[in-house]
Amino acid sequence: MDNVTKAKINLFAVLRNFQELCSMDEVAHNLIKDVKLTVRFVVPEVGSATLAFANGQCKFFTGKKFAGLTLWFVSPEHFNSLIDGEKTIPIFINVFKVGFLLNTFTKLAERLSYYLKPTEELLADEKYFRINTYLTAYTAFFALCEIGNSEFKGRCNASRIPEGEILLTVNDGPSMVIAVDKNHRLSAKIGTTDNPRACMTFGSLQTANDVLSGKSDIFSNLGSGNFAIKGCLPMLDNMSKILSQVGFYLK
Amino acid sequence: MGEFKINQYTKSGELFQRAVKVIPGGVYGHLGPSEGCAIPISAYPIFADRAQGAYFWDVDGNRFVDYMCAYGPNILGYNDPDVDAAAAAQLKRGNCTTVPGDVLVPFAELLVDTVEMADWAFFAKNGGDVTSFAVMIARQATQRKKILMLKGSYHGVAPWTQKYGYGGIIYEDVCNNLYCKFNDIEDFKRVVEENKGEIACFITTPYHHPIFEDNALPNENWYKEVRKICDENGIVLIFDDIRCGFRLDVKGSDYHYGVKADLECFCKALANGYNVSALCGIQALKGYATDVYYTGSYWMSAEPFAAGIACIKKMREMEIHKALKAKGEKLQSGLKEVAASNGFDLIISGEPAMWFMRLNNDYTTMVHQEWVAECVKRGVFFTSHHNHFINAALSDEDIQFTLDVADEAYKAVRKNRPDFH
Repeated sequence: MDNVTKAKINLFAVLRNFQELCSMDEVAHNLIKDVKLTVRFVVPEVGSATLAFANGQCKFFTGKKFAGLTLWFVSPEHFNSLIDGEKTIPIFINVFKVGFLLNTFTKLAERLSYYLKPTEELLADEKYFRINTYLTAYTAFFALCEIGNSEFKGRCNASRIPEGEILLTVNDGPSMVIAVDKNHRLSAKIGTTDNPRACMTFGSLQTANDVLSGKSDIFSNLGSGNFAIKGCLPMLDNMSKILSQVGFYLK
Repeated sequence: MGEFKINQYTKSGELFQRAVKVIPGGVYGHLGPSEGCAIPISAYPIFADRAQGAYFWDVDGNRFVDYMCAYGPNILGYNDPDVDAAAAAQLKRGNCTTVPGDVLVPFAELLVDTVEMADWAFFAKNGGDVTSFAVMIARQATQRKKILMLKGSYHGVAPWTQKYGYGGIIYEDVCNNLYCKFNDIEDFKRVVEENKGEIACFITTPYHHPIFEDNALPNENWYKEVRKICDENGIVLIFDDIRCGFRLDVKGSDYHYGVKADLECFCKALANGYNVSALCGIQALKGYATDVYYTGSYWMSAEPFAAGIACIKKMREMEIHKALKAKGEKLQSGLKEVAASNGFDLIISGEPAMWFMRLNNDYTTMVHQEWVAECVKRGVFFTSHHNHFINAALSDEDIQFTLDVADEAYKAVRKNRPDFH
């Protein structure tokens, strides 16, 4: 496991969840309802991303964007320690915004952690289960792209994925598209596509939750009819090999 | 309502639910629904009850004309009476014993007499046993470490045969692998030049039969050039004849394509389903084979040797490769006609005895997968990802049944895909 890839996952897959968290979770929504601030995270060797809070919503952007508060990290490890919940102080200039960092941001991060670190008791709650499944799926498939683009083993697997779009669907749940370009670069988006070259469908939120949390495997669910694939199978086969790496980074 | 019954798989499903509790993935490997690409699973059986001739029946009582032939071992027809009788007789005499059964020697003699390139034979259990052994012999003989193979080729599941990024494979498992393109002699020359004096062997399937892709036969000069370059550079030429062996020619697929391999690997059709594989080699490599320590608990079991003798004798007598080619050609021309009559362009590639098929203009493969599923539901077992296999028990009636099913299956697909061409 390399720290640059882990930081890319944390920046572009984990932190991204603030956007969905604030729209799905009432507590998170209430935390930001009066916040109007753009926060940019800059991590060496990794890149930058921005969270824009306004009108009770949070929007996630990759790349450079004007920000009211910019947080600089000295290394990928420095940023990873923040996401891992360790006491980490990034470098920033605008001291007037430090309250957001110490208060709202910390509470949002705790809320995200609450949903991404489930217990059996919490999963028994239908609302929690739903949000956990959505956020886990988003995290896993955005993380998959980072591994496929960044890490050596991931790039080896990505190099064997033919060009096209993969549609990932959870019945009665989220759907995502993984696009693979001619250079085997992977990118993900939430939503659907009219022209998938391959499709992977989880039969239910329960199946998606079980597979993505490692409680059950794709093979068993495929044979049981809880999980379905079709189309260009080399896309799915090689993508699944990267998906199996995700868990090692998100442990 | 169509002419054919639509299969139901209740018992297969129930048994699979028991399987997943105690077996990883339920059914692992290429015979399982995942690696076997059962798309959708509702169209496919998971467990067999029995088999005979060209058919198998699943646990729900559905019969299938079987064009996968257990992925190759069934060449004479399931439960061939001559092979089964020879195996049963040997089983009565002894099977797994402290010293090998005497049947070992006549089996090796028969194989050497049958396979044109063979001066000796060595037996194991699975194809991967002998592809790995062949590579070890080549390394011992040349004192080199690199293995040249075709891009997209398959030589088993041993770590060296897999790719970096696959589960359980470390970089060091595959760091001595080199790859070249089939039928591209300039690419072959380039790799040899760039690794001069370092390549132990070139291991190749007789023709290129990757999964998911059109299969390709060798160009006229491919093997002539390959043999010459191997000789000039001290590279051992290994034919992985596991899949093709005996289906193209009982004398070996290298003979079929006009070249002489140094080592040739057999398994699948060698004993019509009894568990044995073989490595044949030239005299110059016999001593190196003894330098490599290589053995297994059941490799000397006598029952499959007796089955192998009966199978080879029968294949020789009936010149089986000619029969399989004729059956394959008849079936495939019929399938193309049926497809065309329904407005589909079926592309056939590979050898007639083990053809691969796909639909033209089907970028996603989904339409072909739908058709294959409709065939399986009606009792014709095809797959969408792999080459198929012909066996000698396949009758003209079976072929006609297959074509009728294929026609109804295309019509079912057409109903949902009126605009596909």
